[in-house]
Amino acid sequence: MISTHPMPLDEVLMIIALCAYVVGALALLAYFFSREEWLKHLGIPLAIAGCVAQFAQLVARFEITHIWPLLNLYGSLSLFAAMSVAIFIVFAFRYKMWFAGGFVLAIAALFLAYGVTWNEGTMPAVPSLQSYWAKIHVPLVVSSYAAFLVAFVLSCLYLAKYYYERSLGPQTAGLRTAAATAPGQVDLGSMQSTMVLTAPLVSKDTPNIAAAAASGNAMALWLNGLPSLAQIDVLIYRVVAVGLPLLTLGIITGAMWAHEAWGAYWQFDPKETAALLSWIVYAIYMHLHTRNSWRGARSAWVSVFGFLSIMFCYFGVNIWISGMHSYKM
Amino acid sequence: MQMVRSLYDDFLRTFSNVLFAVCLFIVWGLFTLVGVVVEQGKDASAYFGAYDAPIARLILRLNADNIYHTPYYVGIIGLILLSLAVCTFKRVIPARLPPLRPVKIDKIPLNASVTVRGDEASVRRRIEQFFGSRGWQVRKREFGGTEWTFADKHNWARRGVLVAHVGFVIIAAGTTLYWARGFDGETAIVAGQTSDIPKANATIRLDKFSYKVQPILTKSGMVYQPIDYVSHVTVAGRDGIPKRKTVRVNHPIDIGGTLFYQSSYGFAMRFGVTHDGVRVPALSDRVYMTGDSLQIPGTQRTVEFAQFVPTVDRQTGQPSADPRINDPAVALDVSDAGQALGAALVPMHTWIDLGGGWRVTPREYLFVSGIQYRNDPGVPLVGIGAFVLLAGLVISFYLLPARLYVRVDANEHANAWTVGLAATTVKGYDMFETQFRELVAEFERSMRPPGPTANLTLAEATS
Ligand code: HEM
Repeated sequence: MISTHPMPLDEVLMIIALCAYVVGALALLAYFFSREEWLKHLGIPLAIAGCVAQFAQLVARFEITHIWPLLNLYGSLSLFAAMSVAIFIVFAFRYKMWFAGGFVLAIAALFLAYGVTWNEGTMPAVPSLQSYWAKIHVPLVVSSYAAFLVAFVLSCLYLAKYYYERSLGPQTAGLRTAAATAPGQVDLGSMQSTMVLTAPLVSKDTPNIAAAAASGNAMALWLNGLPSLAQIDVLIYRVVAVGLPLLTLGIITGAMWAHEAWGAYWQFDPKETAALLSWIVYAIYMHLHTRNSWRGARSAWVSVFGFLSIMFCYFGVNIWISGMHSYKM
Repeated sequence: MQMVRSLYDDFLRTFSNVLFAVCLFIVWGLFTLVGVVVEQGKDASAYFGAYDAPIARLILRLNADNIYHTPYYVGIIGLILLSLAVCTFKRVIPARLPPLRPVKIDKIPLNASVTVRGDEASVRRRIEQFFGSRGWQVRKREFGGTEWTFADKHNWARRGVLVAHVGFVIIAAGTTLYWARGFDGETAIVAGQTSDIPKANATIRLDKFSYKVQPILTKSGMVYQPIDYVSHVTVAGRDGIPKRKTVRVNHPIDIGGTLFYQSSYGFAMRFGVTHDGVRVPALSDRVYMTGDSLQIPGTQRTVEFAQFVPTVDRQTGQPSADPRINDPAVALDVSDAGQALGAALVPMHTWIDLGGGWRVTPREYLFVSGIQYRNDPGVPLVGIGAFVLLAGLVISFYLLPARLYVRVDANEHANAWTVGLAATTVKGYDMFETQFRELVAEFERSMRPPGPTANLTLAEATS
């Protein structure tokens, strides 16, 4: 006789989310390479469906277990993946950046799958985690990580385009060519007024790629479909501008919680200091970004390092270094 | 004098440079990374155990085992504050609040020109109306006979960076206040006993301690998950009036501004000590904390209370991982003249024979509550600073102060004017490009006369 155990709702939702992300990632990656609009229209609903399924999964888990689901790596990675996709979707609708969707979804799916391996079943929280601060601090910090993931993907795309441009010829990447800054006439078809508007500052900051794309170079064609370097740089800034205040607020609420639980708002616990380290890296990013000459490839590199520091803070500290936030037994 | 002046200028130039601040941040980050990777506050032997000897020596020599309190860690934060102060006055304030000055419109990358028909006064009025109605602060100035219109958006948000910087300074001030005036400490109180904390003008008596543990079968085996630690205490502050309180994790109590936290727990012991069957009160009435030793009179023999074991595994006879009290025992280390003789796990109410007629019986275990206390007068400042910093971040990231320079020049056509527009922002041009294009397009549309325009003559359009 075969006994059947119905799968709990939260696990069903998790599988739905994972499948939606994997197929959505494939569709949006194919869109990145082919620019076929239908692929985008397939990927968008899948991304949304996966994200909704994930939030529903977290709610279902809470309903089933009555335990706040974010206090272990399984729950927190699940929120991390969901928030990465959610933040990405908002930005993608606002700034038309679906080109990055395949990468974001693929990474989110990887983290989600990794999180599943940490599912130890349900466990009540240890006394120090039984606090309303857990409901505030953890989502804030995880959301900041999620924003930095999106910034990381954009930074990688920026750097790919930048270095490919440089590899193709004279070092023009990121520079505005004379043609790009010369005013152009815009015919508004009106007798009453004419407008002369500076041609887009940013549209031609990779002339080598544009030329190579015109001659059919596949890599150049993919990269030419991306926004200009300057536009990607602005997008990275905008996403970091979501992540850094969230991380700051996350650190502040963590300090408030520590003040309540351990008697000191700052104890130089490895996790706290690792978060401070990431905060410092993104503060460097913001300061470099105030300088014309450092905006672009250099600040994109800092954003990449920033995300690596976030990964170290998230996994490195929790898994390898013992402390109050450790998952090490 | 000349040299001092030039040194001073160099100092100002260096410390006000953002790239210098970035270098300081990098050094701060590296020190912090060392602090994350190297476990802090351990014994020297722990570092020799964890690292090769040369690295362990380096860690100890550089004080990397306690890096956050080294002069160089504190010094780098001091340098950041100094740089921040210099930069604020030398660069941020002047650059952030630029005076209204004419510019060369076509030299600014974000520029446009729109031809508008109408008499000069009405064109100027419409320009003013256009920007005013969209929330731009419009100001006019005349330079060399030419009237300039300046339109600012989010002008006040130019101070966002200042707010963020001030927030950091306030946090630093709050932390310093703790170092100067605050204190902290830890006390272990045995059930039924009172601990005096003179610094806090407080006494605290542990009436009762309890803890709750839940065994959970996980995929990787049985886990004993702690659920609650609670100390029922009677406290008295400066006024001496005793009050009953409960301290539990996440729920500290406040006695005269000092906060008391549940931080750990343990066990103390009372042993029954007999010599030839006769109870020895001096040794039997004492309370032994973990690590305390009992010296057998007239011998060189000592018994150390190594550990209280809440549950002994019945099958193996060894300590089990279960922290609940089921079959308790006590681990004792016996030595003679400093020479270890052996260790024994002695169940409660059974005895260990030490020779010469001496017997030691674990008689009673007592809970010990570890209470941490801290008085930090800097907390309100740090809290305020943190939120000021956050507000500064939000203002400077989300509100982009932009300035439009508008100049109206006569056109080669009669009754037509060339309106030159240029925009600058505090974050360069790319950040504002899309908005500028949209704004100019809207401006152009709104400068068109109303109605079906395609074939209107100028006179008709403006009359
Ligand atoms: C940890 C402390 C600091 C924090 C939290 C902080 C925060 C900020 C923020 C949020 C911005 C705005 C960035 C943007 O708009 O994109 C900024 C800009 C700036 N910061 Fe800092 N900063 C700190 C330390 C410093 C230091 C030490 C200096 C000294 C040189 C400095 C100099 C500047 C300058 C010059 C700007 C640009 C101002 C402008 O664009 O006019 N900051 N800072």
